[in-house]
Amino acid sequence: MVRKFIQKRQVDRTSDTTQKDHTIVSGFKAGAQFDDRIDTAPEISHVESLRIVLRGFKWLKYVKVLFATRWAMRTVMIIPGLFLGWFAKIVIDHVILQVPLVADDVNFPPHMHWLLEILEGREPLNIALILLTIYVVGLVLIGTRAGGTGAGLYGGRDAASNAENAVSGNQGGAWTGSEAGGIWGITEWWVSVRLSQRFINRLRTDLFRRLIRAPMTRIDDQAVGDSLYRTLYDTPMVFTNITETVFSPFFIFVGLGLTFYQLWWTYSEASMLIIGLMALMIPITIFTTIAPSKWIRRMTQNQRAAGAATTNTLEETMNNISAVQSLGAMKTEKERFANRSAHAFWRARIAMFPWLGVGIILEIVGWPLGFYLAWHVTNMVIEGQLTVGDFGALFGMYMGLRGSFQGLGRLWLNVQDQAAAARRVFFFMDLVVDDEEHQPGNKLGPIEAGVQLENVGFKYPNGHEALKDINLELRIGEIVAIVGPTGCGKTSLAYLLPSFLKPTSGRVLVDDHDVMQIDLESLRRQTSYIFQEHLLLSESIRSNLSLANPDATEEDMVKALESASCMEFIEELPDGIDTVLGRSGDTLSVGQQQRLSIARGLVRNAKIMVLDEPTAALDPQTENLLVRSLRSEADDRLVVVIAHRLSTIRQADKIVFLDEGEVKEVGSHEELMSHEDGPYREFVNLQSSTQPA
Amino acid sequence: MRNFFLALGQFIHALFIEYISRPTTRRINAWVSSLDKWARQETARALADENEAPEVTGKRMLSVIIRSVPYMRPMFIHILAVFGFGFFLSLLFLATGTISSDLWDNKMMVNDKLQPAQAVVLFVDKTYLRSEFLDEQELEEVRELGFEGNKLTIDQRKTIRNRMLMWFFAGDIFGIILAFALSYYPSWIWQNVNHYLRVAMVEKLEYLSLTFHHSNRSGDAIYRIYQDSSMVVNVLDEVVVGPFNDLRELFIAFAFVFAFDPILGIVCILSFIPMAVITAYATPIIRRLAVRNRVTNSNLTSRIQETFAALKVIKANNAESIVVDRFDVDAHKALDAALYVRFGMVALSFIVAIIGGLVIIGLEYLLLTWVLEERETNVPGWAIVFVGFMVWNLASYHSANGRVGQVIGTGRGFVRLWCMLQDLFIGLERAFYFLDVEPKVFDPEVPEQFPDNVQTVAWNDVHFEYENGAKVLHGVDLTAQAGTITAIVGVTGSGKSTLMSLLLRLYDPTSGSVTINDVDIRDFLLDDIRRNHAIAMQKNVLFTGKVTDNVAFGLPDADFDDVKRACEIACADEFITELSDGYDTNLGERGAKLSSGQRQRLTIARAIVRDTPILILDEPTASLDAKTEHRVLENLAEWSKDRVVFLITHRLSTIRNADNIAFLESGKVIESGSHDDLLSVTDGRYRRFVEAEEVGLVDSQVQ
Repeated sequence: MVRKFIQKRQVDRTSDTTQKDHTIVSGFKAGAQFDDRIDTAPEISHVESLRIVLRGFKWLKYVKVLFATRWAMRTVMIIPGLFLGWFAKIVIDHVILQVPLVADDVNFPPHMHWLLEILEGREPLNIALILLTIYVVGLVLIGTRAGGTGAGLYGGRDAASNAENAVSGNQGGAWTGSEAGGIWGITEWWVSVRLSQRFINRLRTDLFRRLIRAPMTRIDDQAVGDSLYRTLYDTPMVFTNITETVFSPFFIFVGLGLTFYQLWWTYSEASMLIIGLMALMIPITIFTTIAPSKWIRRMTQNQRAAGAATTNTLEETMNNISAVQSLGAMKTEKERFANRSAHAFWRARIAMFPWLGVGIILEIVGWPLGFYLAWHVTNMVIEGQLTVGDFGALFGMYMGLRGSFQGLGRLWLNVQDQAAAARRVFFFMDLVVDDEEHQPGNKLGPIEAGVQLENVGFKYPNGHEALKDINLELRIGEIVAIVGPTGCGKTSLAYLLPSFLKPTSGRVLVDDHDVMQIDLESLRRQTSYIFQEHLLLSESIRSNLSLANPDATEEDMVKALESASCMEFIEELPDGIDTVLGRSGDTLSVGQQQRLSIARGLVRNAKIMVLDEPTAALDPQTENLLVRSLRSEADDRLVVVIAHRLSTIRQADKIVFLDEGEVKEVGSHEELMSHEDGPYREFVNLQSSTQPA
Repeated sequence: MRNFFLALGQFIHALFIEYISRPTTRRINAWVSSLDKWARQETARALADENEAPEVTGKRMLSVIIRSVPYMRPMFIHILAVFGFGFFLSLLFLATGTISSDLWDNKMMVNDKLQPAQAVVLFVDKTYLRSEFLDEQELEEVRELGFEGNKLTIDQRKTIRNRMLMWFFAGDIFGIILAFALSYYPSWIWQNVNHYLRVAMVEKLEYLSLTFHHSNRSGDAIYRIYQDSSMVVNVLDEVVVGPFNDLRELFIAFAFVFAFDPILGIVCILSFIPMAVITAYATPIIRRLAVRNRVTNSNLTSRIQETFAALKVIKANNAESIVVDRFDVDAHKALDAALYVRFGMVALSFIVAIIGGLVIIGLEYLLLTWVLEERETNVPGWAIVFVGFMVWNLASYHSANGRVGQVIGTGRGFVRLWCMLQDLFIGLERAFYFLDVEPKVFDPEVPEQFPDNVQTVAWNDVHFEYENGAKVLHGVDLTAQAGTITAIVGVTGSGKSTLMSLLLRLYDPTSGSVTINDVDIRDFLLDDIRRNHAIAMQKNVLFTGKVTDNVAFGLPDADFDDVKRACEIACADEFITELSDGYDTNLGERGAKLSSGQRQRLTIARAIVRDTPILILDEPTASLDAKTEHRVLENLAEWSKDRVVFLITHRLSTIRNADNIAFLESGKVIESGSHDDLLSVTDGRYRRFVEAEEVGLVDSQVQ
């Protein structure tokens, strides 16, 4: 019966998370390769991980007040603990057993004295009433007898699904919610959640801001899923890192001090022994965790990289689902995801090994201490120096303290786990972003003359030489067409204008200023680039346009849309200009998307406008309209068009013929056509020969 | 006689099968399938948008649990093993714990001789045994050795202590190994369960029609597959086992409390009423907040994904700060939602804690008065044998107080669990939502064999409109024969690409049919259809990976020679060999490192390598220069003999190569024929179109 039921919904088991071709040992080794093309050397040393930990502290400056409040509130809450523990003793001794309470006679720590004086000489029930009233007030204020405050949601069995809790649930660190309940607890909890949220959000925003300003050459190597993973799932660990290194030790030490203070009044000799044994625990723990800390770093690193690789696959498939489906690659893509997901889970699982190993070693190493204590104290019991009850109390104390001291010793180990994630965040923060290569602050005024290229060459990092010794002058008021066979460097040349690419030799001058010497933002604000790929955001058409020019009025938008012949189809859309586009604009035809991209470029109203094969998906009529409207607006701007279509090229004032990264010819159509055997003429003839006369 | 019994046995067996076994199975099967159907229906009403606050809970929760079972099924034995093992261990620890605490406290520390079994496990001789377990002779021997009575000597106590420490050490090691296994093993199990669910979701998504995908953000899919599906690992532990254990404890604690005094029990029960009422009141609020939390976090994921996917545009428009602002808005929404859902839980648990705390403190006062007036408890008389709780004293106060605390604590624990479960179920419903989407395009029940020899491809009066109501095709009739090239021409947005999408069954027509060899393509398997088509798409989508992987995309078995030949036909070989690693070069994110002309040639090669009877080229040459285009088209013409080829293009030079031209306007084929035929139509649309292409030339000549 069960089988029948199940058969109907058979689960795909082609790839279990058990990695059959991997050994556990291979999981411990360095050099696992995932999708990373930028961040490829993830091994870090102890010094580096220390630096990473310290670095996280910088973001505390954005949450100073919250941080201090949280710390203060938590510290204040130590005080009630000093009193409430003794209440039970009073109830038992002086209420139930009805021992008369004489303040100076009983064995209480000094801070209890004022209360004892109040209670002194009262009836048992009267004492009970006073204490219970304090309980009730405490219950509402600080949650006495009700426990702490906190709220977590369930997570899964991988890092990503626990990230949300790490941000808002204060999970993972020693600093979970509030130890108090009641009104105080809720307040403290609120502060603590806001603290971690603000901190992490600030870090996320900073990372996000840097990622989106990555230079063009790096965007090519930056996987979307990976960036997503780092922004969303790696950042929370930086905060956990801080709580681990600051709060845990602080409150462990405070707690220890207070326990010790209270012990001193009861078992002064034995408490020294216990504290001494505990202190031994720290060096032992640190010593045993030196080697595993390297593994933990490495394996956490790999676990997260594998998770990011899974995200990459998923993101890529989802974003290009039409390509996947029309090429019939559903099955292979599913298997690719399944394999990566399985691998990521496996990585997450074997990352448990060093932890478990450390646990075992610590248990074994710590055993002699417990053995010695048990042996020593039982000897005293057997020989009649201590009572049976004393043993229970002392050993209970030992077990309680042991946890805290082990925690101190494992501090460094815990930090490794988070440092691996934090490293992934900081690595991308450290990469040079676009504007840092320029001179920030050196603002460029409105461009008046134009752009000049002086002996410009460009070599890609892989050594491919895209442009060689280019000398060109492009003036405001011109329409310039860049022409040449595919792969000749047209786009690379055009990329130089908004400084998407920086020349590797020579200079690009805008109004006689070297672009490397001016503020990038002031240059980019005056340029507009329309790409071959038309990337639209899945938002409304209006919002897609206002991305390019936030100041654009409705009128400007309509004008741009008309110039790009968009209005004819926008009018047919249900919400007109406010229609929300589907995934990456997929609800529109490719030609329509391209026209919208062009409109977006136009609405920017920039001084320099580059159209990179804008017309590939346009029919000739639409294209003619577009070029005409560009013509009419070209007086105070420089329009650069990369085109194959003759009808477009001919309308340019200046044609730059490019081949193999070199400028072969420059001039107007007529000039160039007059060159017998000129490459442009040859190009045109070929085009014409395949076109009707 | 033997035969008689045999026959009788068979008869009874037959009766059993006929009247009991079979009907029961049938009924159970019917029941199970209706249960399954019901569960699907329930989760189908899943939460598509944040405004929908789910109402019925018990039913939906049950449905979600049932839906999770199949993904746990393959791990069933392991799950059973873990729970069984856990149960066995708790028994083991109970037994060893009792014996060792008796040994340690009563025997070693307080000083008492041992029970026989204790002596055996500690490997000590009879001088350690209590006298009642020794016979006369042994007693005599023990007495002679000087170990009289039921007290141990100091040395004996130390020996016991030392040997117990040895045992503790061994037990510790055993415990560590167990802890190791018990943390690794369940991880493996639940990761697998989560993995199955993820893969099922991805598989489903891959096969859902584009209509679905257009209206859903990629980031949402990522969030559901990552975050929402991960909730499945908690279903068994938190929904089934956890509450069960809590209930058991609650029951035992209640029994004790009632035994002490019914008043205590009644007060406890009464205190549950306001807790339950408040929880019932708060549940929908928390649920709504939980939905909001997941939706806003999913939106944040989408925002980040979309931004990174469109990074170039952001750069070109200098829109970094705008994008950061938008990110900030979404991030704050998500963080606020995360805070509020938790605040809902915290506030509820605050109220419940106050109620519970007041009950605990109030009862404590009551107990104290009872102790002082030495009131009799309600504990039955026979219990005196075990405990001295007949009147209220210190011990009974302690015990009763502890139990009351336990009852109230468990009650509060339930409220907390309940809150967390709301979120868990909402997560799972969101995950199952994908699995429940009825595919708009699906395989036929009885598929036709896809023909080996494609003769004709035809659109018969095809109408098509998108979900949003945009009508694209209004009755297209078009036929293409094998061995011909059909060019589809028309202005942007006239439905050219849609026409091809219908042939691939990315969508199904709203009315009319697409046929191959006169068989409706809805009668073929989706996989068959797509396996027999090759398409070079207008959007030159490349995937991260090597050149070869991209060309052989979706063809895991393609060999290198095929790939190379395809690249030669598409004129891609020439630039590939110049790349740093040739065919093994990594192309970067979505092939970003190539120029658009190069990308286009790769997509053409990708279509060619599939070697299919039907080839669709959607603007294949838009980014190619005339020379390359010419060569590519020549190669293609040669290669595509006997195939059905569709060309969508604006370029006259390309169109002229076609045998048949279909001119598409406002969703209809308004003209079709060869280039020369169509040009001869005076005032024909195609003719006007061709003339427009030449306008550019005319214009510039005028200047």
